[in-house]
Amino acid sequence: MPWWGWLIVAVVVIVLIVVGIMAIQARRRRGGVLIDPKRPKGPENTP
Amino acid sequence: MTRLLRTSEITGRPVVTLAGEDVAQIKDVVYAPGRGRVGAFTLAGRGLFAGPLPVALAWSSVVALGNDAVMIADEEVLAPLEQGVDQPATSGRQGNVLGARVLTDTGTDLGLVADVIVQVSEDDSACEVVGYEIESSDAAGSQADTLLIPLPETLSASGEHLIVPGSVTKFVRHDLAGFGAAIEGFRSHLGGED
Repeated sequence: MPWWGWLIVAVVVIVLIVVGIMAIQARRRRGGVLIDPKRPKGPENTP
Repeated sequence: MTRLLRTSEITGRPVVTLAGEDVAQIKDVVYAPGRGRVGAFTLAGRGLFAGPLPVALAWSSVVALGNDAVMIADEEVLAPLEQGVDQPATSGRQGNVLGARVLTDTGTDLGLVADVIVQVSEDDSACEVVGYEIESSDAAGSQADTLLIPLPETLSASGEHLIVPGSVTKFVRHDLAGFGAAIEGFRSHLGGED
């Protein structure tokens, strides 16, 4: 394979790694609504 | 005058100090079902490569919850994340109210929680959890895909099943307009039952 072929392969691999890291971090940043684990739960909290 | 907000409108908002420094963004809203109030936020870093941060922002440290940013005095108010608070978000849906099934105390399945509605006081001193937006099931008896149901001031919640009084079905709304009145009506109705 000519040198520029290896260059293209390297660029594609780097782009895939960067996009993968961005996707993983975006997923980790995704929010939710969490119940405070320090609070008691169950019938004692029922009105 | 109080404001009604979906928690999905709060998550992702930048956290900015009064000195103008953009220090983080809101990740999770953490609330205590026993009190029915938002107690804290977990945070994530800003930028495409940033992940969750090991610090939390207590509601008492929020100077203002604006439409575009959450204002804090300075970075010193961010406290280390307490043990356990960050566990549910990283281990599936456990502990996360979003996606939990809502059942009435009479055993009717109303649907799955799509969002949580909070009421912020005029001076931003309190942020109360007042309702759920649910993807309705057939049993809810509605043609709409999503419904807003008011909550009592305290409720039973485990993150797996959320139990609400059966009379909530009389106070269902389809949008935030008029939902404040539905909350008041529902809570007066519960008060009248006591």
